[in-house]
Amino acid sequence: MKSVQPVLFLGFFGLGTTLILALMWAPSVSIDAFESPAAQRIFYWHVPAAWAAFIAFGALFIGSAGWLFKRSERMWRLHVAGSEAGLATGLMTVWSGCVWGAAEWGTPWDWTDVRLNTFGLLTLLAVYVVLGRNSQPDGVESRDTFAAFGLYGFVLVPLTYIATRIWTIRHPGPVVGPGEDSSINGDMGLVLLVGAVSFTIFIVGHIIASMQLTVMEQRLEQLQHQLDAGGN
Amino acid sequence: MAPALLSLTGIGVRRGMNHVHTDLDLVVNGGDMIVLSGANGAGKSTLLEVAAGLLPIEQGTVKHADTVVLDAEGRRKRSPLTVGLTLQKNGVLGSETVEEHLKVAMSMSGFQTETAPFLKAFNLDHRAHDLVMHLSQGQVRKVAVLAGILPAFVSPQPSLVLMDEPASGLDDASVEVLLGWLAALTQRGHGLVVCTHDERVRDQATRVVDLHGSATTEQTPARSASDVNFTTSTSRTVSAQRFGIRMHRRTMAWLNHNGMAALLTLGILLVLGDVMTQLDAFQQAGFILAPSLAAGLCGEAMVTMCREERVGAWWRGVAGSTPHAGGLPLLIGGAITLLTEASLMATITPVHVVVGAVLCAVAWHGVGFAQRSTERLARPQAVFIGLLTPVLILPYALVLDWLTR
Repeated sequence: MKSVQPVLFLGFFGLGTTLILALMWAPSVSIDAFESPAAQRIFYWHVPAAWAAFIAFGALFIGSAGWLFKRSERMWRLHVAGSEAGLATGLMTVWSGCVWGAAEWGTPWDWTDVRLNTFGLLTLLAVYVVLGRNSQPDGVESRDTFAAFGLYGFVLVPLTYIATRIWTIRHPGPVVGPGEDSSINGDMGLVLLVGAVSFTIFIVGHIIASMQLTVMEQRLEQLQHQLDAGGN
Repeated sequence: MAPALLSLTGIGVRRGMNHVHTDLDLVVNGGDMIVLSGANGAGKSTLLEVAAGLLPIEQGTVKHADTVVLDAEGRRKRSPLTVGLTLQKNGVLGSETVEEHLKVAMSMSGFQTETAPFLKAFNLDHRAHDLVMHLSQGQVRKVAVLAGILPAFVSPQPSLVLMDEPASGLDDASVEVLLGWLAALTQRGHGLVVCTHDERVRDQATRVVDLHGSATTEQTPARSASDVNFTTSTSRTVSAQRFGIRMHRRTMAWLNHNGMAALLTLGILLVLGDVMTQLDAFQQAGFILAPSLAAGLCGEAMVTMCREERVGAWWRGVAGSTPHAGGLPLLIGGAITLLTEASLMATITPVHVVVGAVLCAVAWHGVGFAQRSTERLARPQAVFIGLLTPVLILPYALVLDWLTR
């Protein structure tokens, strides 16, 4: 665990820096472009959190596939880490989005918006996988079941990514990357970049730490089985 | 030469994370009675359930006659043989009658016979038309044992009989009757695999396989076959859908599990008063279809019911599928939508009723599919299937949009 501590520390430092920059330094936006200019600062947390969530769900997908097709213990640990990281960052994204939506749109949620609903479903899937896995004894049957959900649920990731490029209902289109409305000024882009890098470092550190924790949990289980059998 | 009734080749299987069997082979021909013996935890029940196609395997194949019914890639096929199955749990719903359960079991062979002589031999003939829930545990066990052997008795073709601790819970007289029947089945060319700790049953085997030490002992059955005379007639197979609908109607599970959610939703909408005239077409459609969606989102009640006594596992072993409501949700969804529209609007739109029926059915079976996907888990009741139901809200909104365009 000690080897990953610097990464986690750096990630937390980056998150804190992002918060401070977003609240104190990032430029204000025009009242003509936003209903609630002050709430727009949530953007510097919301977008990097979503980016980190995609990384986490990608890890969940790779780990799930690795377990189902290769029966790899390391891939199973990646599935566990990816689902927990996806849950954390998914909830961060949804919560920050709801707060911003309430201020900007007058409603925290829109059931007809494809991006909102697909991302919400991804987060619910992560909740389902984490809670479900924790409710069962570890075994091939439970691993297969939840890995299958992790594998097939990943179809929502590309769908949620392209959603605003095809249907712009409530959630705005892309402001970074390819897209007609993609434009962001220098200072805003800098804060966003700091956020994206910080969240990336944080989520990678979280995944590594979570995998190491799973190794220790499995080792503890083995030792308990040995004690059950009367061994040393 | 006829193919073996059961061939387990190179079987590797895990329970939890433990390898219970590795590279195990077993062949059962017509006329064999194989007894699996070994200490607790040796994997007897596991091997029996693998033979029934109920457990996934890590290696090898399971064949019934010449058909691969299960392989290590997870591919499954329905057995071409009649399979008689008695699990450690009885596999009988409390809401079935004794005779009904036996007729369902026999119907899998396409034939049936009068159950009275068999019930009489087990001192159960006076209980033939009673619901299983009114029987003692020992009596229910007798019903489960009969459900395992009767399909083979009535089948004109060699069948496979798989029994896990059949003598457990039976009185001595019933065990004697059972031993005679087991001998009669082997004499008729059927293949039997039995897990047991009971020495009387073990003495009836043609081969004893000790799973703990991997030793196999050939022997001559101790007891001769009973004189079993009966006539058979053809019988229509009772499908999982037909049985599911029958149980829904008898227990009113559709009302308790699904109908109440719809009625409560309708009740809440009525409490709002006369608001429909103030809503646009989209909102009106949403109100009208909400109760049928609520009914569907509750999922399939049979999944929960079939956890009782591992009824679901028994059905999967003998029929390849588990009981479900079939087309019943269409009827319920249509009726609920009709009731809702009659309560909230001045006119009834047939399109709404059809859409409500389809919406209820899609949601019902979709959630039911998700419920069934977790049945293999050690504690399926602890998994929050409800967390996945919001996936239907966006399609619901799209349906409303299409309906009111």
